[in-house]
Amino acid sequence: MKISIPPSWRNRVARYRLTATKCRDCGRTLYPPSEVCRVCGSRNVEEVELINEKAKLVTWTIIYSAMDGFEDRKPVILGVVETVESKARILAPLTDILPEELKAGLLMEPVLRRISEEGEVGLIHYGVAYRPLIKP
Amino acid sequence: MLPEEKTGILGWGSYIPRWRIDLKEIADLWGFNPEQPEELAVLEKSVAGVDEDAVTMGWEAALNALKRAGINPGEIGAVWFGTESKPYAVKPSATIIAEALGITPKTMASDWEFACRAASEAIRVAIGAVASGLVKYALVIGSDTAQANPGDVLEFTASSAATALIIGPRDEAAAFFEASASFVTDTPDFWRRDHSRYPLHGEAFTGEPAYFKHIVGAVKLLFEKTGLKPEDFDYAVFHQPNGTFPIRVARMLGIPREKVLPGLVTPYIGNSYNSSALIGLSKILDEAKPGQRILLAPFGSGAGADAYSIVVTERVLERQSKALKVEDYLKRKHLISYAKYAKNRRLINRIV
Ligand SMILES: [Zn+2]
Repeated sequence: MKISIPPSWRNRVARYRLTATKCRDCGRTLYPPSEVCRVCGSRNVEEVELINEKAKLVTWTIIYSAMDGFEDRKPVILGVVETVESKARILAPLTDILPEELKAGLLMEPVLRRISEEGEVGLIHYGVAYRPLIKP
Repeated sequence: MLPEEKTGILGWGSYIPRWRIDLKEIADLWGFNPEQPEELAVLEKSVAGVDEDAVTMGWEAALNALKRAGINPGEIGAVWFGTESKPYAVKPSATIIAEALGITPKTMASDWEFACRAASEAIRVAIGAVASGLVKYALVIGSDTAQANPGDVLEFTASSAATALIIGPRDEAAAFFEASASFVTDTPDFWRRDHSRYPLHGEAFTGEPAYFKHIVGAVKLLFEKTGLKPEDFDYAVFHQPNGTFPIRVARMLGIPREKVLPGLVTPYIGNSYNSSALIGLSKILDEAKPGQRILLAPFGSGAGADAYSIVVTERVLERQSKALKVEDYLKRKHLISYAKYAKNRRLINRIV
């Protein structure tokens, strides 16, 4: 799968640091970020970063027939997590977790991982995946 | 006053992947003597996941170091990444980490190469850059997903981990540098040519003429420079290619093994190359008390070693619990089969 460089490059900071937008009117935090609040339509939004926030696992899917370029990651586990304070819902790959360890409400944390790569010679795309929180 | 004395470590942090392989599996698969893992004094090694590489591991180590340092990332003026497993042959790893941590754009950023010692040379240069005022803070990362030819004795130990240090002014440091020294010669103990997937090593060269000669050389230079003696140090941490070499080199220097054991991580995770000695330092800083003195001596094939004298300050105590410790990552482990390890580390050739 080839990703054209400009859009991927423009979004890199959002992907590395989980840039989201918080609506100053209705208070909702939305990821991915958007200039217009997708809940109330307000344009009164500010950028926030969610990379330091823990999240709870809401739901997930285990994909056994992954698309081209993801064969070595099967089964691919995609999850929806909700950040603990800002309550943003994020769709992201789950990592460092075995299918039998998946559980609703599990505390997770965002980490930078290789999300995809363009074969053996193309670009590597880094982004955020969620893994079970490591407790000290 | 030596330039080193103006500088110190503000924050430190490491990362170890969750996955481990029991070395008995490697011995069994390739028909080694079953005692081989015990002879190396290494029982398991860490294996990076399929979505991990030197960049992602270095990012997490650096994030832990930043949490401890408590500084504004934008004030970091150098991001120096030491590795021998760059995800790109050409394209800096350092810029990816710098961008992801919010350090860009007003910074230097580059990748360094000197086998396992690249990050250590970067530490000495970072000390110089901070002492001279060229930069306020420098972030040095040692990170490797070490490669080994399947079936080579190196496969027992070549592992994955990362460690990062934030170097800055002494008056903000959790531990300050007293002095440092380097010892470098042209020695063909270990190499990898361009386009070769795995490194080779000169069997007879790896021990005495490489590891022992260079580490002893660097540490003796440090002792001469400072007048310090082995008994002045509370801890000693050396490059850790296996579990036995660090104990032997300590004995050659008159340092008892009790001072080496607290920083010896290789028996549990293998040799993480650019993070090998540094993760030992990181573990010691996780536990150290103010006033203690640490001898740090990384080594890299090709060959060279550095020696540092580091003194812990009272700031260490408030920073120890600000991020995950090496022990936390050591405890988080899940054993995988040789087959899964081979898949994760791309030892199985597929058409993609
Ligand atoms: Zn709104």
